[in-house]
Amino acid sequence: MEKHQYSRFNETIYHQKLDNGLLVQMLPKKDFHKTYAILTVNFGSIDRTFVPKGKTEMRTVPDGIAHFLEHKMFEKEDHDAFDLFGKLGADSNAFTSFTQTSYLFSGSDHIHENIDVLLDFVQDPYFSEKTVEKEKGIIGQEISMYDDDPNWRLYFGILGNLYPNDPMHIDIAGTKESISQIKAEDLYQTYHTFYQPNNMNLFIVGNIDPAETVQWIADNQAHKQFDEPADIETEFELNTLDGSDVIPFRTLEMDVSRPKVMVGIRGLKEIKPGQDALKYRFTVELLLDTLFDDTSDKYLELYDNGIIDDSFSYNFEMQRGFHFAYFNADTDNTEQFSDEIVKVLENANAQMLKGRSQFESEKRAILGRLIGMMDSPEAIANRYAGKLYGNTNLLDEVEVLESITFEDVLAVIPEFIQPAGISVFHIIPRNN
Amino acid sequence: MHFNLTNGVDLNIIKTTQFKTNQIIVNFSTPQTKNNITARSLMADILETSTKKYHTQTLLARHEADLFGMYLGTSASRIGNLHNVKFRASFLNDQYSQPGLLHEVIKLVGEMILNPLIDNGSFDEPTFMTQKTNLASSIASLADDKQYYASSELRKIYFDQDSPMQIPSFGQIDDLSVLTATNLVDQYQAMINQDKINIVLLGDVDEENAAAAFRELNFSPRIVKNVSAFYRQELHEVFEKEEQQELKQAKLNLAYQLPVYFQESNHYSAVVMNGILGGTPLSKLFVNVREKESLAYYANSNFNAFNGVLTIQTGIESQNKDKAIKLIKQQVEAIVAGDFSEELLQEVKDGLTHQLLSGLDSSSNGAERSLMNDIFDNDKSVETIVNEINNVTIDDVVKTAKLLKLQAVYFLNGEVK
Repeated sequence: MEKHQYSRFNETIYHQKLDNGLLVQMLPKKDFHKTYAILTVNFGSIDRTFVPKGKTEMRTVPDGIAHFLEHKMFEKEDHDAFDLFGKLGADSNAFTSFTQTSYLFSGSDHIHENIDVLLDFVQDPYFSEKTVEKEKGIIGQEISMYDDDPNWRLYFGILGNLYPNDPMHIDIAGTKESISQIKAEDLYQTYHTFYQPNNMNLFIVGNIDPAETVQWIADNQAHKQFDEPADIETEFELNTLDGSDVIPFRTLEMDVSRPKVMVGIRGLKEIKPGQDALKYRFTVELLLDTLFDDTSDKYLELYDNGIIDDSFSYNFEMQRGFHFAYFNADTDNTEQFSDEIVKVLENANAQMLKGRSQFESEKRAILGRLIGMMDSPEAIANRYAGKLYGNTNLLDEVEVLESITFEDVLAVIPEFIQPAGISVFHIIPRNN
Repeated sequence: MHFNLTNGVDLNIIKTTQFKTNQIIVNFSTPQTKNNITARSLMADILETSTKKYHTQTLLARHEADLFGMYLGTSASRIGNLHNVKFRASFLNDQYSQPGLLHEVIKLVGEMILNPLIDNGSFDEPTFMTQKTNLASSIASLADDKQYYASSELRKIYFDQDSPMQIPSFGQIDDLSVLTATNLVDQYQAMINQDKINIVLLGDVDEENAAAAFRELNFSPRIVKNVSAFYRQELHEVFEKEEQQELKQAKLNLAYQLPVYFQESNHYSAVVMNGILGGTPLSKLFVNVREKESLAYYANSNFNAFNGVLTIQTGIESQNKDKAIKLIKQQVEAIVAGDFSEELLQEVKDGLTHQLLSGLDSSSNGAERSLMNDIFDNDKSVETIVNEINNVTIDDVVKTAKLLKLQAVYFLNGEVK
C-alpha cells in the first residue's frame, strides 16, 4: 500500500491497486464520526456505443442504459441493497453522470459490513424482465419530473445547441421512448462490459484504519470470481471537432414566470487526459472568475443595470472527451444578457488585462475554497476523477492551482473562447 | 464556552480542531408579525450587498476574495413563531490561511451588521430599489419549482387565514410595495436594538481572544421578551384544493396536525414515527408508494417540531391521485394500528443516529445545531438525543401517530383538460 502525506494540510492518502485491478484510495479522518465510501465505474450515459464483452462488433444500446443499470443494481432476487444498508444504519445512494456511475454509502457504525454490502451489490448483478419492466415506470416518473424543471431544460437546451449530434444532448436518464426498449439482457451485456474491477475505483474517507480497511476489501474480493480483464472498446468521438455543427440559437416556450437564458461555450481544443487537463480546468476557471464573478467591474455594471440579479451563475464542466462553460440567469432582458456575455467573451483579453490586479486574489479565493472542501468527506471522494486528471485528488489540486500564472490565463483565452463554439438558449414564458 | 456580551446578546464559542474552516453565525430573532416578515427579508438582502466601508458589491466581494474566498451572507428564516435574520460566515482557520484572518472576518461581520449603507435615515436608494426588484423576481420565480409551489400552496390551506404563517419566511410580493428606503431603517433599528442575538463561533480558535473581538462590536443591551416559539392552531375541517397546470408530473401534498414540540417528552417519538412513515428510504411511504406500487418518483414526509405539522409530499401521474391518497392514508393507519416491525423501528433509529453523528462532521451543521440549542436554552448533547431516540418504543410511536389529524390536501394536476 502506498502512502502519500500532505503535511501542509495534515492529511494522508493511502492507495493500493488490488490484484483484480480495483483501485482503492483512503483518507483517514480520525476525529470524524462517519465514513463515506464511493465506488465509481468509469461508465456513463455517453458510453452508448461499444463492443460488448466477448463480441467483436460495435453495438449501440438505448439511451439511458447507464442510469437504468444504476437503478437496477440495488434490486436483487430476494432483497434490496438499500435495505441492507438501512439495517446497518447507513445511508446509501447512487448517481450517474455523462461519464461515470457511482454507488456510495455513509455510515457511522458497521463500516466493515457496509463496505461488503457496497462491493457485493455492485459486483453481483441480478436483472429479470419483470423487475426491468417495473423500473420503467419509476424512471419514467423521474424523466417527467425533470421535464417540468425549467433549469434542467435550460441546461439540456444549451447542450443540444453545443452538441446537437453527440450523446451529451440527451438526458442522462434517456427518454421514455429509449428506456422502453431496454431488456434485462442489455443490462447484463452492458454490466459485464464495463463493471470490471479494473474499470472501477473505491474511495473511502472517514474514521478508518487504512491497513485494516484495505484488508477487508482484499478479503472480500478474494472470495469472488472475476472474468479475465478485457479491454473496453467504446466509440465516443465528437461528431465534428471544429464546432461547425453548433446551433447558434434556439428558444423554448415553457410555463415559466420569468424568461431564462443560457450562453454556452463549447471548448474546441482537444484536451488529453492527465494533470494538464486539471491545469487547463483551473486556468479556465480563473479566467471566468476574473471576467464574471462578483469581484469584476462587469458584474456590477450588469447588476446595476438590471440585466443580471442573484440568479446569475456560470460554470465550467470538463468530462472525459468534452468540456464546456455556461452562463445563465433569470432575466427580463434575455437578449441584452446574451449580447453582454458574448461581448465580454470576445473582449476577454482586454478585460483580463484590466483585471490583472485582481488575479492573485482570485487565485487565493479558489485556494480557500479548495482547502475548505477538505473538511468534507463527500467532496474529497467525489472530486476524484481518475485518469481524466492524471489520478490527482483534491489535495494534489492545490499545487496545480498554485502553478498557474497570469500569462497562462491569457494564453488559454484563444484556446477556449472561439466564436464557432458560442451559442445561446432562451426559455420564454408561454403565451396562454 | 458562553460569553454574555451584554443583556440579550449571547456568544457561544465551540472550540474544535476537527475542521480547517471556522463558522460564525449571528442570529437576530424576534416574534413574527404580518408586518415584519417581508421587511426583514428585504433588509437581510440589502445588508448583504454592501456596507459603509465597502459601499459596492464589488468592493465587498473583493475583500472577501482577499480573505481566502470567505463566504459571508445573510438569510431570513423561521423557527415556529420566531423570525430570524442570520449573518453567516464560513472561512479558513488562521493555520491554513494567514495569522489574523479570524479577526479580519469578525471585523467584517461586525461592519455588515452595524455599519450598513444608511445616510440621513435612509438606506442607499439605488441599492434599495434593486434589492426590492430582485426579491420580487426571486419570489415570483419560485413558482417554477413545482415541488416548492405545491408545498407552499399546501401551507396556504393548512394555516389559519389570519396567521403570519401564511407568509413565507422570505416574504411575499404584496408586502413589498409599502416598504421604502426610510421606513426600512426603522425595522433595522428595531432588529439591531431589540432582537435577541445569539452568536455562535465554531472552530480552532482562541476563545478569550475571539470573545474580545466580538466585545469590540459593542452591541447595545436589550430586554428580551419571553415568547413561545411554538406555533399552535385549532383543528379545522379538512381543506382540499386542486389546480391545473401544464405539467408532466402531478404533485399530491397532504398536511396533518401533529401537536408535538421540540423539547417535549414525546418529541423524539414523533421524529421516529416520521422516520417510519416517510422520513427514510425504508419508510412505509417510500417502500409502499414508490417502490411496491411504482406510483411515485418521490414520496416522503416531514415533521416540523416548531409548527406542529407533519407534511407528506409525492410526485405522481395525474390519474393515480385517488389511488395515491388511499395508499398514503393506509400507511398512516398502519402505523396507528402498530403494523410495523421491531426491526423497522430499530433501522429507523439507527438511521437517525447516523444522521445525528454525521452532523457532527460538518462545521456548518455543528454551528446551526448549537444556535438552535442556544435559542432554546437546550443543553442536550448528541449522545443524550441518541439515547432518547433509542428509548422510543412501538407503543410510543403508536401513541404519537394517533395524534395525527389530516387537515389539508393539495393536488397540482398535470392534465390540462
